[in-house]
Amino acid sequence: METKIQNIHKEFIEKSKLGDRNSQYKLYELYVDAMYNISMRMVGVKEDAEDVVQDSFVDAFKKLHFFKYESTFGAWLKRIVINKSINHLKLKRITFSPLENHEYNLKEEATEFKEKIDLDKVKLGIDQLPNGYKQIICLYLLEGYDHNEIGEILNISVSTSKSQYHRAKKKLIEIIKE
Amino acid sequence: MMDNFEKYIHDNQDFFNTKKADKNKMWDAISKELDAAEPTKVIPLWKSTGFKIAASIIIILGLLTIAGPVLLKSNTDTLETSYVTKEVLDIEMHYKSIVEHQVKLVQDHPALSTEDKKEFLSFMDDLDHEYDGLKIEMKKNLDNERVLEALIGNYKKRIELIENLLKQINSSKKINDDYGYTL
Repeated sequence: METKIQNIHKEFIEKSKLGDRNSQYKLYELYVDAMYNISMRMVGVKEDAEDVVQDSFVDAFKKLHFFKYESTFGAWLKRIVINKSINHLKLKRITFSPLENHEYNLKEEATEFKEKIDLDKVKLGIDQLPNGYKQIICLYLLEGYDHNEIGEILNISVSTSKSQYHRAKKKLIEIIKE
Repeated sequence: MMDNFEKYIHDNQDFFNTKKADKNKMWDAISKELDAAEPTKVIPLWKSTGFKIAASIIIILGLLTIAGPVLLKSNTDTLETSYVTKEVLDIEMHYKSIVEHQVKLVQDHPALSTEDKKEFLSFMDDLDHEYDGLKIEMKKNLDNERVLEALIGNYKKRIELIENLLKQINSSKKINDDYGYTL
């Protein structure tokens, strides 16, 4: 039996579907910071991230009648922001997937840190990664997508996603340990 | 399966969400775009509360228009009904008197045999039945012009038949009279 995900903001969502500007603002207020952070990690430039988030909210409110509570509103909105961020990178001709459709059968290595992980270093390390690596690390580690979903988002195969992620993670750990 | 590095980052996601958006500036832009898109925005009409209220009012008014005259039996309608009833009665009285007069002429006509008279009067009875049926129909729907026309047509048919019959009798009598003169 299909269980529809309970949506805590259902009232705001339903009113927003009817064009109620106050409800739309309530939803915006709830999600704007999270969406801005996602976009900032993906596109890296403040103004670009703002444009992406603005476009995403406008699109989301215009197409809200397509939202059928099959996921949370946040997850639905996040997917719009991610797709718009990737399209933005494509338009700016920024390579977001350097190993696109090349499968590197890297052995999956579990990274066991014995020392305490310094989150500041991780954050800086992510910023220093090349674009393609940075996006896949964000999608997998921070946004919580699996390799099937990343494959769909980036239009690459699951194995490409896996191998690219392992290379990116290896690079990130090198930076952190420097 | 996640290793301890991945798990640690995953568990501390909030640490990476520290940037603050310029909410007001961005909302202004979003709001403007939504306003601009408003005329082409498609909102299912039946989901709007305003539409539901308007639709309910229209339905109630519609029902009152259709069922109101029957349920409330308004004065206007009574006047109209009596007017139509009077018109039917006048028509009926007019033609009835003509038909009765002519039927009497046929019945009293010396040139017609009893059999011919009986056959003719049975035909008149058929038209009487048809007329009664039309009157019942008329009661159901007083403003039905087609029924009214059929009622008048019924009487006209009778008058025409009687006139034709009397004309035939008279003409044959004339011929006979002529022959009489010739002879």
